[in-house]
Amino acid sequence: MPYLGSEDVVKELKKALCNPHIQADRLRYRNVIQRVIRYMTQGLDMSGVFMEMVKASATVDIVQKKLVYLYMCTYAPLKPDLALLAINTLCKDCSDPNPMVRGLALRSMCSLRMPGVQEYIQQPILNGLRDKASYVRRVAVLGCAKMHNLHGDSEVDGALVNELYSLLRDQDPIVVVNCLRSLEEILKQEGGIVINKPIAHHLLNRMSKLDQWGQAEVLNFLLRYQPRSEEELFDILNLLDSFLKSGSPGVVMGATKLFLILAKKFPHVQTDVLVRVKGPLLAACSSESRELCFVALCHVRQILHSLPGHFSSHYKKFFCSYSEPHYIKLQKVEVLCELVNDENVQQVLEELRGYCTDVSADFAQAAIFAIGSIARTYTDQCVQILTELLGLRQEHITTVVVQTFRDLVWLCPQCTEAVCQALPGCEENIQDSEGKQALIWLLGVHGERIPNAPYVLEDFVENVKSETFPAVKMELLTALLRLFLSRPAECQDMLGRLLYYCIEEEKDMAVRDRGLFYYRLLLVGIDEVKRILCSPKSDPTLGLLEDPAERPVNSWASDFNTLVPVYGKSRWATISKCHGAERCGPELPKTSSFAASGPLIPEENKERVQEVPDSGALMLVPNLQLTADYFEKTWLSLKVAHQQVLPWQGEFHPDTLQMALQVVNIQTIAMSRAGARPWKAYLSAQDDTGCLFLTELLWKPENSEMQISVKQNETRTETLKSFISVLETVIGTIEEIKS
Amino acid sequence: MIHSLFLINSSGDIFLEKHWKSVVSRSVCDYFFEAQERATEAENVPPVIPTPHHYLLNVYRHKIFFVAVIQTEVPPLFVIEFLHRVVDTFQDYFGVCSEPVIKDNVVVVYEVLEEMLDNGFPLATESNILKELIKPPTILRTVVNTITGSTNVGDQLPTGQLSVVPWRRTGVKYTNNEAYFDVIEEIDAIIDKSGSTITAEIQGVIDACVKLTGMPDLTLSFMNPRLLDDVSFHPCVRFKRWESERILSFIPPDGNFRLLSYHVSAQNLVAIPVYVKHNISFRDSSSLGRFEITVGPKQTMGKTIEGVTVTSQMPKGVLNMSLTPSQGTHTFDPVTKMLSWDVGKINPQKLPSLKGTMSLQAGASKPDENPTINLQFKIQQLAISGLKVNRLDMYGEKYKPFKGIKYMTKAGKFQVRT
Repeated sequence: MPYLGSEDVVKELKKALCNPHIQADRLRYRNVIQRVIRYMTQGLDMSGVFMEMVKASATVDIVQKKLVYLYMCTYAPLKPDLALLAINTLCKDCSDPNPMVRGLALRSMCSLRMPGVQEYIQQPILNGLRDKASYVRRVAVLGCAKMHNLHGDSEVDGALVNELYSLLRDQDPIVVVNCLRSLEEILKQEGGIVINKPIAHHLLNRMSKLDQWGQAEVLNFLLRYQPRSEEELFDILNLLDSFLKSGSPGVVMGATKLFLILAKKFPHVQTDVLVRVKGPLLAACSSESRELCFVALCHVRQILHSLPGHFSSHYKKFFCSYSEPHYIKLQKVEVLCELVNDENVQQVLEELRGYCTDVSADFAQAAIFAIGSIARTYTDQCVQILTELLGLRQEHITTVVVQTFRDLVWLCPQCTEAVCQALPGCEENIQDSEGKQALIWLLGVHGERIPNAPYVLEDFVENVKSETFPAVKMELLTALLRLFLSRPAECQDMLGRLLYYCIEEEKDMAVRDRGLFYYRLLLVGIDEVKRILCSPKSDPTLGLLEDPAERPVNSWASDFNTLVPVYGKSRWATISKCHGAERCGPELPKTSSFAASGPLIPEENKERVQEVPDSGALMLVPNLQLTADYFEKTWLSLKVAHQQVLPWQGEFHPDTLQMALQVVNIQTIAMSRAGARPWKAYLSAQDDTGCLFLTELLWKPENSEMQISVKQNETRTETLKSFISVLETVIGTIEEIKS
Repeated sequence: MIHSLFLINSSGDIFLEKHWKSVVSRSVCDYFFEAQERATEAENVPPVIPTPHHYLLNVYRHKIFFVAVIQTEVPPLFVIEFLHRVVDTFQDYFGVCSEPVIKDNVVVVYEVLEEMLDNGFPLATESNILKELIKPPTILRTVVNTITGSTNVGDQLPTGQLSVVPWRRTGVKYTNNEAYFDVIEEIDAIIDKSGSTITAEIQGVIDACVKLTGMPDLTLSFMNPRLLDDVSFHPCVRFKRWESERILSFIPPDGNFRLLSYHVSAQNLVAIPVYVKHNISFRDSSSLGRFEITVGPKQTMGKTIEGVTVTSQMPKGVLNMSLTPSQGTHTFDPVTKMLSWDVGKINPQKLPSLKGTMSLQAGASKPDENPTINLQFKIQQLAISGLKVNRLDMYGEKYKPFKGIKYMTKAGKFQVRT
């Protein structure tokens, strides 16, 4: 299609439209107009023939009218002065005897979207609201919302709002739903339409008369209604019962959400509802439409957070079929991981084992990671499967298996022996950075149990010059030094070579510094090296803490049937924030606390500005010494006093965070290794009155958010608040520095 | 709710756009193209794509992406269902829904979209009401329109919009009163290497075509209603009556509609009507492999299995296949490695088989993944779940309607692992 040279097309069409012969012939005239529309839909700029099109709107041919209106709605904002000419015809059509023409004209007029049109459309809309044809009323009701938007969010027209509220009693179901939609938009600034008892009950009674879209939307609006008594609540639930069995998944989900929200004080009702929608939800999971499947699966995962065993007996429904798209397969594998129990573990593992050799490397790797996460509970079976996979000698499989092993020995030390026996030989099939790092780490930490560990590392040392990833070199340095401590005779020579290379020849500064650091450490003496490098080799408690406790249904009920389960909250929050910023002008700088308190502090000491947040009510004790055991005991005995989520985009540097926290006297007790996903850290701090703050940071890169959970040994809201603001400031500052 | 709609073909051209609120620039689709590129295959494009200011929800059907742009939080199922409805409507209007057809009928497409959504909210989506607003183009009507200059816009407003029963128009009149019901069941199954069933379930629907005068009130009862585990109904079905008596009682919409859909799953053992015997072997460091499959009937209650096709994606290492079928035709595409065999009817006396050799990449180790066999088939006059309609009665009108019920079983996602 001619994107270039559209001027010629416009010229030609213009000529045709002006031609009196064509104008006389209805068919030819309409064909020309159709061509204009066709070009318009292809993205060509057709605004040049606006004048001629306006003239064409004066016709009895309803199709031609439709086409011209369509055209005008698209280009009116560009040619507001010319569009005013068309208003006259439109106004006349608004009182046509044919209701279709009236509706059409009114809809087009409301969609013109140009300044100054409001004064012309107000009267036709008001007439339309009282029209005897429901078709026109539907259009007029939505027209009210469009008119309000044209006004640019100015004051709300009270009379119009009242009229719309009274139209909620209209006998046409679509008019009713349109009223809701329209009021919602007009009253946006005041928090949307108010659903009081009469309206709620009226809507409930009309529900069965609505189409599926109307039902889904009304269910959404009813969320705002708070029943007065328990009796009323259960009456409503009874009325809505049949919608849990609706043919449309959207209505089923809407009804489920309403049940969950209304029954938030009755956990057994909530559980009951979730049991009842199991059928429809599973049906949606195997629906013909891939997209529906995907969204349903996301919701299944959400339900599993609260009711882990909920779908266990249906685990076979989540087996992947060959022809499904990736995004569904990946969701299904995640669901399978969460469904595993003593009865089905064998079958699920066999199924996952099958996926590990899938043609698609991504899917195969996801399946292997899934087996790894099941391994935390069913260690022996999984390790055996993973070991067998190594036998395939496929590069993409081996690297992921080794990474899984690394994470596994850290969480479940009982499998170390089996892993160590499986490792020899894998080094031939690993090429990528992550896999190499994992292998080297394993060889370093558990090298004394792997007979050929020094020789494998020696190969890496031999080839260190051609190694492209600095992270691998760092890992190699640490691993070799660790192995040197347990098997000095075999390692001494190559450690020397490696250190020499790193210090003398390496170009990457970080690697060189690490090399120098170890060299100097060795100079201090072997005992010092041992003290620093021989940290614990596993941390089963981390797995215990990582095991997500069952979350109450209420924690996610409000997110049910929204995009949140599909993409996570923070993302949508950032999007809405952008909109807010667009609308209300420049946003306040995030660090307003700094900015506001800045001038109050004499400028000579910059350090003190940093301490401003805690210099008020809260004074954190420096150099607090807590042992990990004590921390763990206290952590497990306390309840979460505060939880919140902060956005965190992009990469992450644990060291920087740790240092920054140190500055404000918050100590890091333990944290995951850099690059772990999700990344976790446990922090502690104490204020001058002896109140202890224990904190968990959980960074989930897939949602780009940082979740903070704080526990306190004495309940004091004031100090808790100030502590949290300190934390927020630190995290906020780092986030900013980084970006 | 739905801000704009873009139609994009698989090569990444936007060939139609429609905006219901302000005009959203085409550039928003760049995020979609990025995702499309990343996904390598069209099927793998994720259905929800976030962008800094919008969300893009898409469905992929008939090799076209229907991309909806939304700006506020919405129930995702709602939008996805709606997009599917749009596709269904196009298919209903034009017979097929493809890029050339949409381009040819762009004007009707626009008219339909305009009626389906106003200000981003669904308006008229029932196909029988839409068809009264905008008549679908037929060859005859196009010819007539060209000659007489008449239009394909209805002159009358759909009367159904004023009826007390929202899904049925008033004043329906037919000279032949008839009601047909089709019970269609699809088997989704995964069969393992040894022939035992891993999962199997039946997805069934009852589609109806009801052309009855006036306001008939129908009841439909089943011989074995307990079979139906999980049922969802057309809004016309009286739910309370089903709960208490297991009888479907309803005032039907006029014309074609889906009365109910149901699932029969593992709890009631699902009969598998076909079996596949296979012997596929790759040998290490040999450039030849053996391939042999046979298809036969299993539990078919004496009915013939028709329309059988077998497709299988062979491993990358397979260069070519030389096969001979005992019946039907087969093709192997050496580029996509897709084997397909159009079998036709299965004759239980002489089972169809496909035998031969595969030439493999020389020197490569044997492929570690085994091909999966996908099966399509049809069985007329049989509902594999054993569901049977007992009787159909009509109240509220005096005449005697003609009634018909048809059963059919099809393969859904039916695959055999080897």
